[in-house]
Amino acid sequence: MTVINAPATALRQPFFKKPSILPGFGLTLGFTLSYLGVLVLLPLAALVVKAGGLGWVGFWTAVTSPRVLAAFQVSFGLSFVAALVNAVFGFLVAWVLVRYDFPGRRLVDALVDLPFALPTAVAGIALSALYAPNGWVGKPLNDLFGLKVAFTPIGIAVALTFIGLPFVVRTVQPILQDLPPEEEEAAASLGASRLQTFFSVIMPALLPALVTGFALSFARGVGEYGSVIFIAGNMPGLTEILPLLIVIKLEQYDYVGSAAVGTAMLLVSFLMLLVLNLLQQWMRSRHAR
Amino acid sequence: MAIQVSGITKRFGEFTALDAVDLEVKSGELLALLGPSGSGKTTLLRIMAGLEGPDAGSLHLNGEEALGLKPRDRQVGFVFQHYALFRHMTVFDNVAFGLKVRPRGQRPGAAEMRRRVTELLELVQLAPFGSRYPAQLSGGQRQRVALARALAIEPKVLLLDEPFGALDAKVRKELRRWLRKLHDDIHITSVFVTHDQEEALELADRVVVMNQGRIEQIGTPADVYDHPASAFVYEFLGQVNRFDCMVEGGIARVGNGTLAIPTEGGVQGPAVAYVRPHDLGVSPATGGPGRIAGIHVVGPDARIEIDLAGLALEAEMDRERLATLGIVAGDRCSVHIDRARVFAR
Amino acid sequence: MPADNTSASSARSESAWVRWTLIGGALLFLALFLLLPLVVVFAEALRRGVDAYWTALTEPDAVAAIQLTLTVAAIAVPANLLFGVAASWCIAKFDFRGKNLLITLIDLPFSVSPVVSGLIYVLLFGMNGLFGPYLRSHGIQIIFAVPGLVLATIFVTFPFVARELIPLMEEQGSDEEEAALVLGASGWQTFWRVTIPNIKWGLLYGVLLCNARAMGEFGAVSVVSGHIRGETNTMPLHVEILYNEYNFVAAFAVASLLAMLALVTLVVKSALEWRFGDELAATRH
Repeated sequence: MTVINAPATALRQPFFKKPSILPGFGLTLGFTLSYLGVLVLLPLAALVVKAGGLGWVGFWTAVTSPRVLAAFQVSFGLSFVAALVNAVFGFLVAWVLVRYDFPGRRLVDALVDLPFALPTAVAGIALSALYAPNGWVGKPLNDLFGLKVAFTPIGIAVALTFIGLPFVVRTVQPILQDLPPEEEEAAASLGASRLQTFFSVIMPALLPALVTGFALSFARGVGEYGSVIFIAGNMPGLTEILPLLIVIKLEQYDYVGSAAVGTAMLLVSFLMLLVLNLLQQWMRSRHAR
Repeated sequence: MAIQVSGITKRFGEFTALDAVDLEVKSGELLALLGPSGSGKTTLLRIMAGLEGPDAGSLHLNGEEALGLKPRDRQVGFVFQHYALFRHMTVFDNVAFGLKVRPRGQRPGAAEMRRRVTELLELVQLAPFGSRYPAQLSGGQRQRVALARALAIEPKVLLLDEPFGALDAKVRKELRRWLRKLHDDIHITSVFVTHDQEEALELADRVVVMNQGRIEQIGTPADVYDHPASAFVYEFLGQVNRFDCMVEGGIARVGNGTLAIPTEGGVQGPAVAYVRPHDLGVSPATGGPGRIAGIHVVGPDARIEIDLAGLALEAEMDRERLATLGIVAGDRCSVHIDRARVFAR
Repeated sequence: MPADNTSASSARSESAWVRWTLIGGALLFLALFLLLPLVVVFAEALRRGVDAYWTALTEPDAVAAIQLTLTVAAIAVPANLLFGVAASWCIAKFDFRGKNLLITLIDLPFSVSPVVSGLIYVLLFGMNGLFGPYLRSHGIQIIFAVPGLVLATIFVTFPFVARELIPLMEEQGSDEEEAALVLGASGWQTFWRVTIPNIKWGLLYGVLLCNARAMGEFGAVSVVSGHIRGETNTMPLHVEILYNEYNFVAAFAVASLLAMLALVTLVVKSALEWRFGDELAATRH
């Protein structure tokens, strides 16, 4: 004889949620979804709706005007350069922090997170003071090499390097730490030189993390505003970044135009989010031991 | 308190964890739910505790419908497989937790609470450890804290999920005896889940053997070991020789007739026969049908591998008997079986 | 951080000169890109002496900016704290369809440019925005006012608490909560006495990072602020105005406060990681 109980049958809905005796699912999920919906999804939808007012042709025209294209080029190109610099030096920093001991290592390790913690506007004015033609670093560079950093594309790359550095270090560092020493020892015992071991054993293991860090740094750079505008010079077509263009359009009451550029940037972020998720899957599959 | 389980069914997606299970736990007994992983034993235990709800069936605690009750209203003590001790609380606070969360009216006073917790810590022999944190204890100690914590709420039933699963062999044995003694002292109705047949047979008053969401057999340890009700129980409990045979007129014939065994149960035709290694007799016989393939001495016992015309068998005897027989690897031998249980194929 | 990396076997270490070259290279890079910018903030702020520094910090607009920054953070951080705890409870303790999508959506604000984060609220609540006419007819101002600053700040700091708590709570599982419920605790008792103590350091960690970003956010609030001195200027925006007016000492003076906030954040963060690393999700992988 099978007795079907009321509380038991209530659980036989098509699977949406695995039953659990912990309370509060409805309350917390409801709150989470409302909060997310009202504060994030609704405003993002407003952006797309506003840009959609232009129609496909209008949207395309708006985001392919020479000034916007130039800004795209500046933002993406220099973010790429900065991410490359970070991939190299971030890797070096992670390597040094994990593998070597030196006085103040702990302090340096903590300092790496500075770009996460320092407000971008502060970073912006500090970098521009530092790399200006009369700044501590800018003056020697100018005098010795005739190299101008602030108010040129190089300045933008410097700011984006600052902003993106921790992404590479903090992605590579834990993986490097967990690298099993046996593999390197095996390579050494098989007669590989240290350099051969590095390129054939260590690098392949770290590559997914390095690429992920690069992508994170790049993605952050494309959207960055505060640290860049002070050092950039903001010349249209030369040193004008995408986010600044949005602000300028907004100040000119060109809401639709700024929405169009904003939507284009949003689409790019979605795309990068997708790429990053795939990268992280790759990273996990590599490090699932 | 008695527990009555009727027709309990539980599915996780496509997987049926419990398939219309009926079971009665008698008041004051120590019952083992024994089975391989995935047999549904833990799910059944969690349903008794109210940690899961079944898809169908009913559950009565002491004659009262219990499925509608929340865990806190069932008066059930539950010992989790990995103990689930509150890591940020001391041993004392862990044990006291169930008392502290009671509604204001039923909450014992500070002195009374201290007395009861101390008493419980003494019961589980952890009195000096009250101010330690779970991370500072050994596995066996954590297990006993979990038990004291479950007993603190004065449960009518004690449910234990793989209580010794995470312990090493020596501690496991000690704790097993200790738990048996504790049960004999306090006589609380207890159900424990295990996949270790030795544990179930040694500890429990009755054993419930489960497989694929169903109960295969319920009985005393001696019952289920000596008279397994199904092929599964035979294979799951203890070492066993298993071979295909043909049964004709109550005689099982193996292979090309090298072995003829009297059977119990009216099976006819193709069948599977089971013989425990210690029910398998070996005697030296020049020109006999079997050959001693190997002898392994494990402690006081000897395991003898026999090759019976291509059929690999295993016999078990004590070392004294082995010495009397005077057999060595490579000898010819004959094999006789007094008892075999056959199940239709 | 492992303490044993000096004892690496010789098969895994480089010769001393390679080692020190690499260390030197890394430190030079960090000095140029991280340390000097930090030092220059304080150097510039104090260039005209302590008096000028103090004057810059105590002039009314600066004080108003400090107050506004504190106010905005005092609203945005608790709001996101509440959200983070609720979201991680339902995500980490339950299995339901669409969970991964929900996690991705929670992370979304991190991948949106700060400027776009401000822009979306202008498009929603601004004069020409979707709700603009309604708000104007009811005399409610959101954009170019404090509510807009709060909204933009909430958006950019949205994921901090949740993304620290979700992996932490997932790792801790639900065993202890189940044990508490069986022992007779109510849902709230379980939450306050079992869950919260287990996640408290992770919670503090998330709040710390959330607060640092909330007080330091520039791009998003810049778009919704309207830059009205003494009214809708947060500290970072005040820094920008002063800097653009070539009032460098004052700009760097206010910036130095923010830099100190960053330093305190880093110190507390490192201390948490060092002391309670095994109770944080961020320090594990």
